[in-house]
Amino acid sequence: MAVDPITLTVVWNSFVSIADEMGEALRRTAFSEAVREGADFSTGLFDRRGRLIAQGNFTPGHLGAMPYAVKNCLDFIPPEELSPGDMLVTNDAYLGGGHFPDFFLVAPVFEGEALIGYVVNTAHHVDVGGAQPGSEAVQGVLDAFAEGIRILPVKIVRNGEFEPDLMRVLLGNVRLPEKVRGDLMAQRNANHVGTQRLRRLFADYGEALIEEAIEAILDRSEARAKELIRALPEGTYSFDDQMDDYGPGTPPIRVSVDVTLKDGTATVDFSRSSDAVPAGINSFINYTRAYASFGMRIFAGIDVPNNAGIERVIKLVTRPGSFFDPRYPAAGGGRASLQVRIFDAINGAMSQVVPDRAMGAFTHWANPKFGGVDPETGKRWILYDLILGGFGGRSNKDGAEALCPVFNCANVPVEVHETNNPVRIHTLSLIQDSSGPGRFRGGSGMRKDVEMLTEGATVVLLGDRHKSAPWGIFGGGAGEKARTVLIRGGQEADLGSKEVARLEKGDIVSFRLAGAGGYGDPSLRDRAALAEDLKDGFLSRAGIARHYGVTLD
Amino acid sequence: MIQVAFDIGGTFTDFVLRDPATGAVEIWKVPTTPREPARAVLEGLEARFRDTALRPAEISDALHATTIATNAILERKGARAALITTAGFRDVLLIGRQKRYDTNNLHIDKPKPLVRRADVFEAPERLAPDGTVLAPLDEAAADALAAQVAAGGYDSVAVVFLHAYANPVHERLMEAALRRHMPGTSISLSSVIAPKYREYERTSTTVANAYVAPLVQAYVDSLDRSLRALGVEAELSIMQSNGGMVSADLARTWPVRLVESGPAAGVLMCAEIGKEEGCTHVMTFDMGGTTAKLGAIDDGVPAVTPSFEVDAVNYRKGSGLPLSIMAIDLLEIGAGGGSIARTGMGLIRVGPDSAGAEPGPICYGRGGTEPTITDANLILGYLNPDFFNGGAMTLRRKAAALAIAREIGAPLGLDLAQAAWGIHSVANANMERAMRIVSIERGRDPRRYALVAFGGAGPLHACRLARALEIPRVIVPRGAGVGSAIGLLAADRKVDLGMTRVMRLDEASPAQIAPIFAELEARVTAEAGRMQPGTTPTIERSASMRYAGQGFEIRVPLPAGPIAGDYVATVLADFHAAYKREYGYNDPKAPVEVSDWFAVATLPNTRAGAGFRFPGGRTGGDPVTGTRLAWFPEAGGMVPTRIVDRYALTTAHRIAGPALVEERESTTVVPPGDVLSLSAAGNLIIDIRAGG
Repeated sequence: MAVDPITLTVVWNSFVSIADEMGEALRRTAFSEAVREGADFSTGLFDRRGRLIAQGNFTPGHLGAMPYAVKNCLDFIPPEELSPGDMLVTNDAYLGGGHFPDFFLVAPVFEGEALIGYVVNTAHHVDVGGAQPGSEAVQGVLDAFAEGIRILPVKIVRNGEFEPDLMRVLLGNVRLPEKVRGDLMAQRNANHVGTQRLRRLFADYGEALIEEAIEAILDRSEARAKELIRALPEGTYSFDDQMDDYGPGTPPIRVSVDVTLKDGTATVDFSRSSDAVPAGINSFINYTRAYASFGMRIFAGIDVPNNAGIERVIKLVTRPGSFFDPRYPAAGGGRASLQVRIFDAINGAMSQVVPDRAMGAFTHWANPKFGGVDPETGKRWILYDLILGGFGGRSNKDGAEALCPVFNCANVPVEVHETNNPVRIHTLSLIQDSSGPGRFRGGSGMRKDVEMLTEGATVVLLGDRHKSAPWGIFGGGAGEKARTVLIRGGQEADLGSKEVARLEKGDIVSFRLAGAGGYGDPSLRDRAALAEDLKDGFLSRAGIARHYGVTLD
Repeated sequence: MIQVAFDIGGTFTDFVLRDPATGAVEIWKVPTTPREPARAVLEGLEARFRDTALRPAEISDALHATTIATNAILERKGARAALITTAGFRDVLLIGRQKRYDTNNLHIDKPKPLVRRADVFEAPERLAPDGTVLAPLDEAAADALAAQVAAGGYDSVAVVFLHAYANPVHERLMEAALRRHMPGTSISLSSVIAPKYREYERTSTTVANAYVAPLVQAYVDSLDRSLRALGVEAELSIMQSNGGMVSADLARTWPVRLVESGPAAGVLMCAEIGKEEGCTHVMTFDMGGTTAKLGAIDDGVPAVTPSFEVDAVNYRKGSGLPLSIMAIDLLEIGAGGGSIARTGMGLIRVGPDSAGAEPGPICYGRGGTEPTITDANLILGYLNPDFFNGGAMTLRRKAAALAIAREIGAPLGLDLAQAAWGIHSVANANMERAMRIVSIERGRDPRRYALVAFGGAGPLHACRLARALEIPRVIVPRGAGVGSAIGLLAADRKVDLGMTRVMRLDEASPAQIAPIFAELEARVTAEAGRMQPGTTPTIERSASMRYAGQGFEIRVPLPAGPIAGDYVATVLADFHAAYKREYGYNDPKAPVEVSDWFAVATLPNTRAGAGFRFPGGRTGGDPVTGTRLAWFPEAGGMVPTRIVDRYALTTAHRIAGPALVEERESTTVVPPGDVLSLSAAGNLIIDIRAGG
């Protein structure tokens, strides 16, 4: 007998709300700015067979990697070795989320003796050791041995308590042990909340019904995704984009994609992209897949919450050992920079199929880490930042200003940074005339200036679009390129987008993000919209004349 | 002496008169006058003075809840306001926190700021996180800037400087300059309105204050003046979001605190009804046309939150404008009588889209085409098509049936009643999930609570909701249709204040904490004194606390009395216990810090009086006026169900479900197994599963 539509609706909604509540518990109890302010985490529910059932409204990179991380954990420690109150952890780049800072915490859920499913969350930890603060340096990190501690799947929580021996090993290898410990506690809280709620759901509806509901959810999700992809014209659609480099003096990284739509399946092929690089930026397969899948979800208009059913219709092809599918010990700390470019490339390819869903390229973003030891207090500190610009122009409206692109995290307030770290922030503002022109213009670039109040700090840069501007689409123009500038004694010097630099007291690192690309012919832009842009200062009179060929009164 | 309370709703302005000596209550309504809300109030009172023996001079209290601040924000009809902020940070308001409220939507837009970029000015000044002046704001610069802003012709100005929560000096300097150049213009300082850290949230709150201030101030003035013109000498009091009444004078000072005025009054009504029925633990359930609002009352005190969002998209977290002010904690979801039901992938989805009041549900016959919860409730037999809103409206059953069969029944292979039941139960499940968050997830055991249901649709769904959560008793208050106005009569006069002072408790001494409360308590006592000179308020303390290094806090009540001896140890123990209740774990060895400190001053309630005695309906006779077919799956489907006239019920009656209790403003559905009675106070009591 099939589960009735009412019950199925209720059970499905409950799965999603459990995942959301886990996220709330994690965020509210986390210690690092990345998690608690930046929301750099994700949550999910899996069935007894390890299949993804539901995820919360969090960052897609984690979400997309999670099913594989769970499977990999269970390959190391099979279900029959699990007991109530256990939790497994891994941070391996290949098995997990593509770099060591992402910790997956997997908790089996039992009803009595019976395993009924898993609750899982991932959080980005502020530091896991390695060459530079934040463990995400690109420049100078030739392999994974310079990226900090690597944890292959182990049981880190037994009977609800962290294994003290493992914790000692782990916390002895990271720069900010108290934050790592605190965030792990928060991850345990989240799984605790998820466990209680999932057990309650099983108690309310019974195992048989839930199992049936899960099958129905996965089958219907797959069918719906197939139906949506099938509605698009079959064919292969290609696009080429690039990343600046993998550190000063290195060549660009080629990001090339071929999307094939056939028989209700989307195949996303990155084989034409670059080889693996000897720097901390390679994109491991779980990460590549996560954003390939996210891109297809957006452009195919897949309106079903993510689960294993969707995973069946979006396929990834890579060249094993290449940049988008490297092997241990390739380094991947800074791979977060890739997600926007993976999305841009899929956007470019799919614009040939669904022009109304396409948009100009994003401004890209900066994800710098500052760190050091404050000589006045003797305390070690790491400032993890997310500097986020605008969206490209869209088919019926301008690109959103200052909104998180693909991965969907939040920024960290200036007042929080200044309270916790020896820095002063001098500006956080949109850059005039930086947006790509178009009938619908791109969002503006963002400027943020951060001054060091102590000696001996290091900045680990992770930005892009210094060398190739965010492109416009359907006649829209490119945005202004990005710059990262070191201001020392009033003199400005350009830094590479993935450089590691030593800083002196009084140095200011000035981030100037690129502008996003425009959509459509700039000459078609509404005069009234230009007048508003002028009034609000997004564009200057000179900028309007230059990009739009218009002189406003 | 007579008390009058009035609450301006979207359709009607409700009035309640009460004689505090006898508790005798009278209720009436007049149509709301949306463009000039004060007019309906005056007309309603004027008619009363003309047609009855009531005289203006007899009025001892004029109590009011208002949606004027909320509507100004929702409809973007507030003042033309300017924002002055620290140089370099012009775009804080526009940037916000940048997370998309829906990860899977890239065509999303952020909420439109209340002040546009062209109206943001930068001042040359800078403070450090501890309030130290790094770059002084000199008077000449402030003066020049004020002149520039004055030239813009703004109605209102917000001033938000970085780290001003730690030191108001520059904001005050700027205020003084503005006063010189723009005398009479409303000025909102972040150090006064929301002195908490996180610049976006503080800016959002202060700007919202500036945005609604001129409107609220003009409205309060006009209402106050008109009451005087009518001969009413009593001072006007207005409900704040925190559930406290303040004088008109204080309402003008803190306009943004009125944003949740109406809903707060509803929750206070529930607290009062709970008290009447001997229940101090109450879950509140207000279901209207568009949304359902759920809240909790512990030990007679409504739960409050130090921040919330206004103007959220589909009630999704992170989509609205954050306000860092104390408010009665309500979880709002898109489930109201007008919520639309649709199918997709073999599922039923209900809300958050709503047909609202216009066109409204299909059965209203005003052009609605998509089936709603109200349409389903009509098909299920729960609503009487001829006695909706007291008979003021006839519902169209046939049109509702056709649409439900077509839109829900056909795609899912369900017959009409099953399809309607599907809509009803999915709506219930949505509310059940929300209620679970408010109760179990926040450490409340529903079995110890009573559920007070009000709003037009609340009593239709309350018993099912109670069953799902194992809440043993549902109370449907007398006068549920004018709930908010009743709440005003019960409310205390209350002023709260909070401030950010980050402090590690393991390193703290009572001597560090005492001055903080000395300042807060002096300020709230002074503010309370403005309302009632010479009276000593009761002071309650609380603090937002976390493990050192965390970014989010839980609010913990702090002991009253001298701050000395083992005060810190007591506070710590309370925090560890509260944390465990919330999250299931705690870490008693980890250092704890306080971020924000709060004091609330409450004035003795001189209006409590003799409770509420509602005008009686007809007494005696059989309250069961007939039967109609209604859907109860446990009874086998459509079954003849007794119709009970609420106005004929007496305390002697006990009626087992299934039954439908009809009154003018709502219908209470009593499922099989539940038992209905009337309390001495006149409230409907439904004991869940009491009938075996």
